Amino acid sequence: MVSFKYKIKDKVGIHARPAGALAKEAKEISSKVTLKFKGKEADAERLISVMGLGVKSGDEIEVIVEGQEEKHDSEKIEEFFKNNL
Amino acid sequence: MKDKVFGVLQRIGRSFMLPIALLPVAGLLLGLGSSFTNETMLSAYGLSGIMGRGTVINAVLSVMSAAGSSVFNNLPLIFAIGVAIGMAKREKDVAALAAAIAFIIMHSSLSAMLLINGGGESVEEACENLIASGHLAANSYGEVLGIVSLDMGVFGGIIVGLGTAALHNRFYKIELPQVLSFFGGTRFVPIISSLCFVIVGILMYFIWPFAGLAIAKVGDLVLKSGYIGTFIYGFMERFLIPFGLHHVFYLPFWQTALGGTMEVAGTMVSGAQNIFFAQLADPTVEQFAVSATRFMSGKFPLMIFGLPGAALAMYQCAKPEKKQAVGALLLSAALTSMVTGITEPLEFTFLFVAPLLYGIHCIFAGLAYMFMHIFNVGVGMTFSGGIIDLVLFGVLPGLRKTNWLCIIAVGAVYFVVYWLLFSYLIKKLNLMTPGREEDTDEVKLYTRSDVNEKKGKGSPSGDVTSALIVKGLGGKSNISDVDCCATRLRITVFDPSLVDEASLKSSGASGVIKKGDGVQVVYGPKVSVIKSKLQDFLESPESESSDFLSVNNNPSETASSAKNSAVSCDIFSPLSGKLLSLDEIADGVFSEGMLGEGAAIEPSDGKVYAPFDGEVSLVYDTKHAIGLKSKDGVELLIHFGLDTVELKGRHFKTKVSHGQKIKKGSVIMEADIEAIKKAGYKTVTPVIITNTDDYKKITIADSKTISAGQKLIHIGD
Repeated sequence: MVSFKYKIKDKVGIHARPAGALAKEAKEISSKVTLKFKGKEADAERLISVMGLGVKSGDEIEVIVEGQEEKHDSEKIEEFFKNNL
Repeated sequence: MKDKVFGVLQRIGRSFMLPIALLPVAGLLLGLGSSFTNETMLSAYGLSGIMGRGTVINAVLSVMSAAGSSVFNNLPLIFAIGVAIGMAKREKDVAALAAAIAFIIMHSSLSAMLLINGGGESVEEACENLIASGHLAANSYGEVLGIVSLDMGVFGGIIVGLGTAALHNRFYKIELPQVLSFFGGTRFVPIISSLCFVIVGILMYFIWPFAGLAIAKVGDLVLKSGYIGTFIYGFMERFLIPFGLHHVFYLPFWQTALGGTMEVAGTMVSGAQNIFFAQLADPTVEQFAVSATRFMSGKFPLMIFGLPGAALAMYQCAKPEKKQAVGALLLSAALTSMVTGITEPLEFTFLFVAPLLYGIHCIFAGLAYMFMHIFNVGVGMTFSGGIIDLVLFGVLPGLRKTNWLCIIAVGAVYFVVYWLLFSYLIKKLNLMTPGREEDTDEVKLYTRSDVNEKKGKGSPSGDVTSALIVKGLGGKSNISDVDCCATRLRITVFDPSLVDEASLKSSGASGVIKKGDGVQVVYGPKVSVIKSKLQDFLESPESESSDFLSVNNNPSETASSAKNSAVSCDIFSPLSGKLLSLDEIADGVFSEGMLGEGAAIEPSDGKVYAPFDGEVSLVYDTKHAIGLKSKDGVELLIHFGLDTVELKGRHFKTKVSHGQKIKKGSVIMEADIEAIKKAGYKTVTPVIITNTDDYKKITIADSKTISAGQKLIHIGD
């Protein structure tokens, strides 16, 4: 299990568009990606649960990556966050 | 219209089953009692010593006769109440009371009208005056519950029963102004029924005598036309029984010069029955006068043979599972007809549900009288044509005098003809004789298979509100009692801990109050309707099945398993407007199907409706997007407009909250389209299945425009 923290910069938070992109990204990698925010967890592949976290601009979330290639995948996801959120 | 009439007749027919079940017993009491207490018969056979007046046997038989005849004398009242009970939708006890009151009031009003118009000291005198002046037919009045009134037979009872039930169904939920509220609801029913039947009684004074007068005219026709006349007599007598007018018709023949005048044993005797009994008592008579018995003998083949044949046919045509129950009724009714000649128990089983059969029965009745006339059968009767009278007045006087074997011969043919004809017609026309009717709410004991069948069809009543209420109350078995006041449903439950407030609220309740085992659910003034529907629902087999709402029970568990290719369901359009494919909306994320498959709608109206029954899984903080999960596990995102997240909730109103159960077609969100457009955003709304990967095949409706509630997406083959 690898995890990292990330502060959302996108001005409207994790809404449909980036959440969709994240879901797509999460599906492409073999690891399971979970977002943790204010005690709630969301499977990154499930758009609605990610949106349901209600993450706003400036909020810090924890991203947990688990799997065979978690190290590599974690880097990829972190890269995605930096570029998109 | 025809179906409606048919349905009403069927309900009336069924509502008769309660009083009819009593008739065989009453018939036997009356038949045995009156046959063996007839003084003419007793003296003719020299039985006066053993069974005559003053003997113990006579006393017992007299009581039997009186008890039995009281039922038949009051048949109209019994049917008025029976029909009201059968036809009232709910609160049947009130309808029964109202019918009894209305019946008495109708006849009292009619009686008063007779007295006013006829003049004299008593109503009887008034009636005789009216008869003398030609306003009334002779023998058309009688006592009804001690009220001297016009005889309207069970027809009068049916008018009252139907009228009261109609008033009842219309008014039992009436709300009166505050000052009069005590008289509202069910209390209003006897009041309005009383008033209405005062008027009906008055009207009957003007209408009913015409029927009697017309029938009296038919009597002349009978006398003038020989065998055909005998046929008409038999037909009319049978035909008039349901209207109580048969007395008007046959009594003159039996008791007056209309039925013939003859010298018997040195005295002049008038009337068919009087002639017969005079001859029975006169040992010098060689053959009984057929000119008199032609008004009687026809009943024997009909009642001893014909009707039992019909009963056998009805029994055989009943559904297998109902044969036992129906058999008991039909057998006892057939026996009553055979032994005592009292036919109402049997005739009423098909008269109302299949009037055609009664019509045919009337024709055969006419033919029976005619055959007896042709074959010179000279058997008379005390009042009806069962085996008792056949033996006493046919067999015992001797074949030479009565020619009674012809009755057996014709009767055997009648049995077969009735049996075949009734069987054929019942099956051919699918007549709803006893044991053939479809199961309805009146059959409360449904079988497990009925329940399963209903389940297979999904929710047949579609009464989701009631289903939600029952679910919210912890299932049918947890409900002890349902009542309501002005705005609240008041329920007593067995286990208050099973009550699920969320489910109750999703049924449209604005509040839930729990106190001990009492639960009050606030709906507002419409609560009486909700209560009625809930009661209907609780009486339907649907409510028995504990999982009628499995839809909402555990949606989260049903969804996730991947490639749920077995699922086949529809998603209905949440919006009205132009239907577009996702790639037409020129927006990277949605167009590429990154979020899932779906469609886009350019809405013409800002109201968003629930596209299926399910649950709200997400209401985005900025209100522009709603995530839903259907009962089948479909996850749907409705994203109103593009980039509308930037509006930060302005111009959007959400009507639901996270976790709330939704019902297809309810409004879940409202958007101000004009305002959104003015703010510079597109209102085109992607509707996306976010768990697309779970399904093999997703089909989008092929249309240029779509209305809310139309099929938008089909999942599965």
